[in-house]
Amino acid sequence: MATDQSADVVVVGTGVVGCLIAEHALDAGLSVLMLEAGPRVDRSQIVKNYRRLPPSVRVGHWDAPYPPEPWAPHLETRTAKQQEEYLQLEGPNARAYLQGYVRYAGGATWHWAGLSWRITPEDMRLKSLYGVGRDWPFGYDVLEPYYTRAEYAIGVCGPSDPTLQWPANTKRSKPYPMGPIPFGPGERRLTEVAAKLGMINLHAPQARNSGAAYDGRPACCGTNNCFPVCPLAAKYDASSALPKIEAKGGKVLVNAVVYRIESGEKNAIEAVHYFDPVKRSQRVTGKIFVIACNGIETPKLLLLSKDERNPNGVANSSDQVGRNMMDQPKLIVELELQEPLWTGVGPVQSSSIVGTSQGDFRSRHAGALFRMENFARSPLGAAAALKKGLVGKALDTEIRRISACTAQLTVEHEILPSPDNRLTLSNKRDWLGINKPNIYYDVGDYVRQSAKEYTVPRLKELAAGLGATSFQLSPEFLNSDHIMGGCIMGADAATSVVDPDCRAHDHHNLFLPGGGAMPSGTALNSTLSMAALALKAADAAVDQLRHG
Amino acid sequence: MVQRLKPVDVVAVGVPPTIRDDCPTVFALGRREILAGGLAFVGGLGLATPPAGLAAEATAWSGESAARFMELSSLLIPHRLNEGVGSRIGAAMSALNPSLAEQVTELLAIARKKNARIVEDFFPDLPEGPLKETALAIISAWYLGVVTDAPDAEVFAYADALMYQPTKDVMTTPSYAISAPNAWSAEAPPLSNMPDF
Repeated sequence: MATDQSADVVVVGTGVVGCLIAEHALDAGLSVLMLEAGPRVDRSQIVKNYRRLPPSVRVGHWDAPYPPEPWAPHLETRTAKQQEEYLQLEGPNARAYLQGYVRYAGGATWHWAGLSWRITPEDMRLKSLYGVGRDWPFGYDVLEPYYTRAEYAIGVCGPSDPTLQWPANTKRSKPYPMGPIPFGPGERRLTEVAAKLGMINLHAPQARNSGAAYDGRPACCGTNNCFPVCPLAAKYDASSALPKIEAKGGKVLVNAVVYRIESGEKNAIEAVHYFDPVKRSQRVTGKIFVIACNGIETPKLLLLSKDERNPNGVANSSDQVGRNMMDQPKLIVELELQEPLWTGVGPVQSSSIVGTSQGDFRSRHAGALFRMENFARSPLGAAAALKKGLVGKALDTEIRRISACTAQLTVEHEILPSPDNRLTLSNKRDWLGINKPNIYYDVGDYVRQSAKEYTVPRLKELAAGLGATSFQLSPEFLNSDHIMGGCIMGADAATSVVDPDCRAHDHHNLFLPGGGAMPSGTALNSTLSMAALALKAADAAVDQLRHG
Repeated sequence: MVQRLKPVDVVAVGVPPTIRDDCPTVFALGRREILAGGLAFVGGLGLATPPAGLAAEATAWSGESAARFMELSSLLIPHRLNEGVGSRIGAAMSALNPSLAEQVTELLAIARKKNARIVEDFFPDLPEGPLKETALAIISAWYLGVVTDAPDAEVFAYADALMYQPTKDVMTTPSYAISAPNAWSAEAPPLSNMPDF
């Protein structure tokens, strides 16, 4: 049984990665203590927070319903000044690393879209096939069973036809636990238009309960509010796993900000230290430590934990901790259309064009994912029509027209891991006195070339197919909130941070699973891969405790 | 569920400073800037600076003012209006625009003169300037559910905000269920089918 000071497995972070590992360890009979920097907040409160936001903040400011506690700051974007406070960003594409995540119990899955793509066998062999990036230290056949387990653990719905799955026509050990979520009018129209251009808009596999309850959570009823919060928990978020973890005997301590990892003899990890909200320091010991507090906070914590044995920070003999920071650099385009498209029916994201992520061109430039954002555009339509000074019937007619006849298309690019894209400790400190993260970010020519010769032309084709009369492209690359690379995985301890089980090369009892471990970012949403890596790490950790 | 550890390894670190360096003071200062900027939206007198006696002026907003505000709102907006929402919008607008009560009276007088039943009957007669701005600000508040759409604005109506209504036959009011599980449709009626609301 875990106590407040010790457990077999100590998990830092209560997001999807930490929760999957915690539950697996508990099922194996181990004691588990989870430490969460932020508070535990009821879903109903977050929904209230959302509905109390002014209309201009409701769309695009996914952090706004999650006001952070002073001891666990995260990005806030209501105002431009606020946006500069926590993440310290520099480099040619600093704006593209403005990453949103939630330091609440449940983590960033509170406001994820739920898209649960697998990556492809080719995505794991970029170096071998295209001479760029890094290869994973194992193949797709090793990852596949973990993907399946992850799909069942978080409840992913998706097509049963192998030609409509991704990767297409590739062996799966089990079908999706639920069938796909139906399209609304906009996604159906995009699918038809894309097909004429030779682009296949697939039903996205998504961690959303399709047509029926799953794992104690209700079916999706199309609240069109997957981010910033699903009011029903029809979309998986890790907060819904916490009661199950507690029922199995796991302990969850919130408002516990881990600021140091303590190494001991043979460089084993002995303890983690955290501050409570009045800055009293507490020490927690364990046999296995899992640091799963996302792709920014995990490398930050490793770098904060310098000691005599580890002068560059814990797990950092390779000097790769905090390097290779990745995301999918995103461009968005706002369209005005002649004919109605009608978004706002079904989940906010429910389909994507992903075939465009693959091809021999990857030796020269990035592949990419294309998507139409399906959130209800009525608030945008109303704001635009009111600005015209219209009244009465003319106002209503214009709101309806703008809401129906506008759209946002998104393209997310694959970035290569680069040691120059680096997280370091800022001299600026947060409320507790802990260094804020500083990140240098350049999307690189691989991405810029893709935008120039591949993705923007394809966006224009899609826009023309949809009958666009106006095409407003974002002037710079934006963030996708898929934080990867900062604890990169590899077989060679000299060039990577973790081994194929996400175990630190430098510390046999320290696991760093999640997006940080991913050797390739790919063009696809990262969460299912993070979940699969979590389960692989969980197997390894349990096996290690059982057999030494 | 939420547990606190007993201090087992207390380090002499002291109490955190009362002013965090990661933002809230910025946000508090921002409110004043936002308020001043928002006044342009609220219409009225085109005030250059927020009036000193906002609270005192607000008390001049009587039950009668509120009733007249609802009467004018019904002439400006051809839809069913929630009186509770109107009462909150009127009180908030009057706090920002001390002349609101008189302007409402003036606007009603113009409407009566035209025997107006709907906004189209009298809106073209409104002179450019504060009166027209106030009329537009009232309409905007009913549609958006806020008096000024600023980052810290108070929301008077969410689902009742009229902005969701012209598309309610197709688009979701976010965070409210649209249908039974997977029962929504990919069909949409024509643009010309304006819902009744």
